[in-house]
Amino acid sequence: MLEARSLTKRYGSHLALDNLNLIIKPGEIFALLGQNGAGKTTTINLFLGFIEPTSGSALINGIAVEEHPQEIKKHLAYIPETVTLYPNLTGLENLQYFSSLAGFNYSKQQLSDLLAHAGLQSQSFDQKLAGYSKGMRQKVGIAIAVAKKAKVLLLDEPTSGLDPKASNEFSEIIRSLAAEGTAILMATHDIFRAREVATSIGIMRQGNLVSTISAQDISANELEQLYLQTV
Amino acid sequence: MFKLAFKNFLSSSGVKIGIAFLIITGLVSLVVGNQFLAKQAENVEATAAYQKAHISKNVQYHPDELGLLLYYVKFSLVNQTEPINSLSIGQRDVNPSIQSVTIRGLEGQKYDADLQNPSNLLLGNIDFSFVLIYLFPLFIIAFTYNIISEERESGTWKIAAVQSSNLFGLILKLFTVRFLVVVFTLFLTLFLAVIFLKIPLNTRFWLFGGVSFLYILFWFALSFWVASMSKSSSYNAVTLLSAWILLIIVLPAMVNSYLVSAYPVPEAMETTVKQRNGYHEKWDMDKKATIDKFYNHYPQFKTFGYPKEDFNWLWYYAMQQMGDDEAASESKALREKLEMRNRASTRIASFIPSVHMQIQLNEIAGSGLSNQLRFMDETGRFHEQLRLQFYPAIFKESPASSQQWEKFEIENFSDNSMTSATSAALPLVVAILLFSVLGWVRFRTMVS
Repeated sequence: MLEARSLTKRYGSHLALDNLNLIIKPGEIFALLGQNGAGKTTTINLFLGFIEPTSGSALINGIAVEEHPQEIKKHLAYIPETVTLYPNLTGLENLQYFSSLAGFNYSKQQLSDLLAHAGLQSQSFDQKLAGYSKGMRQKVGIAIAVAKKAKVLLLDEPTSGLDPKASNEFSEIIRSLAAEGTAILMATHDIFRAREVATSIGIMRQGNLVSTISAQDISANELEQLYLQTV
Repeated sequence: MFKLAFKNFLSSSGVKIGIAFLIITGLVSLVVGNQFLAKQAENVEATAAYQKAHISKNVQYHPDELGLLLYYVKFSLVNQTEPINSLSIGQRDVNPSIQSVTIRGLEGQKYDADLQNPSNLLLGNIDFSFVLIYLFPLFIIAFTYNIISEERESGTWKIAAVQSSNLFGLILKLFTVRFLVVVFTLFLTLFLAVIFLKIPLNTRFWLFGGVSFLYILFWFALSFWVASMSKSSSYNAVTLLSAWILLIIVLPAMVNSYLVSAYPVPEAMETTVKQRNGYHEKWDMDKKATIDKFYNHYPQFKTFGYPKEDFNWLWYYAMQQMGDDEAASESKALREKLEMRNRASTRIASFIPSVHMQIQLNEIAGSGLSNQLRFMDETGRFHEQLRLQFYPAIFKESPASSQQWEKFEIENFSDNSMTSATSAALPLVVAILLFSVLGWVRFRTMVS
């Protein structure tokens, strides 16, 4: 479970995130929408422990991130906007390397299954990552996140630059992870993807979460209208 | 994970080129060392043959006058070149490894060095110590300047940071991979040196290898500390290269400049002048006074009395002896100055790992100033032994046939003095601990 309690981040006089209160339960997918600089990535980085809050706290499964920055890593996985891995290793080797960092030593078959589950074609498994497209790298990133078996998943613009087919496959995987009880926070610009994948949608503006809607209660067009009015 | 970390590191073409370059320059240094050993062996062989022929020829020319014969005959003492000398040639190419002396005044002969091509001296030797001290750090910098920083810049670090709950352990692993690769290159070169240069696996060799290992570790500790500052790759590269320039070029030049000005050796010139004057002015002085001084030095020869002739070899060698005696205080002062210079440079070098390394490798290999000073001392003993052996026969005016000349082969000086492992290792260990702890503290702060 993810929880933000009056979470605030200030850079000098600039208020990047203002008093965010949020709870994302297991099985929920919460999509954060907003323009550039609205505070989406700041929120993700606060949950990841990459930056410290000015006030308030971020909690992962009830553990305060700023107090136990190493401990919380056992509970979460992360997929950035651009998955940059080691270009001289193959997809399989990258997955093996990053899984072993998390303490998982999978067999070659298990690693292959994870990559296949993430939607990567089997003929790419043993190719060096230098020859991968962005979409293929994102899929390895998904496999890395899935392999960690974390109960919290943080996604920062994960479908940015992906073709529609790859985006759809990605959405499928996210939904299946949520169905297995993973709490997911996803920052995105993609209104339609958010509407399609998320259970709840939050719209941010200038560091404030100004609106929270259940995805079931709103159509894609209504969401677009609301977004444009809000930001 | 280690296997993949190795594969990831070694699959970079830059790393492959770097390691190949290190191995090739290492091999070049071994070839240079082998040439040095061959030249030394050739010189010794030529000197041995020359001494034999030279004695034989002079015995033929001067069969009846031993004093005249020994005026010409030179006897050689060789500062033995051990195979390990070739790894760190040090001052062996500047100072003579063979001293050929007559029984005349020693001081004037001490500094009769072999002729060396000055352009070779100017260029220096690409020996193994050069490769280790100058080139290895450059490649350590190239292999480590972007650890973490490059991954942070590319975005990989964010994923790694989330995946790993022991980031410090990951950082150590990344450094360990690079360290093991460089250490492997070091010991591969040393292993080839053992085979190619026939270096015995004795204490001297293991100390040489151990200190080299610590020097590599020092540069890794320095890189570890710089990486812990969490700056950009370009900042790390500039910082490490500045450290290289400071430690390898600027500080050694400053130390040298300081030592030359703090410990000038005008005694070198004064010794030569005193010795020459001490001898030459005796031609115009009362013979008895010269011989009395000689008998004060060697009372055992008093029984030869005071020769009456205008010229006598006892008087002549007494004059020669006076040259040495009158230059003795300057000679001693020169020796002490060189010792002081050596001690001061060793002391200062304790704070500059690169200079410390050069001094220690030369000391271990037996090619440093201390070895040269010991060889000069041994030359003095060798010369004195020759004088004491020949003086009675000369003073008795024995013929050349009174001596068994075939016994006078070249003699060898084997420097068995051993550098203390503690003094060789301690300054490096302290520097390693310092930078490791500084890096560790910063990294722990960063990852906690």
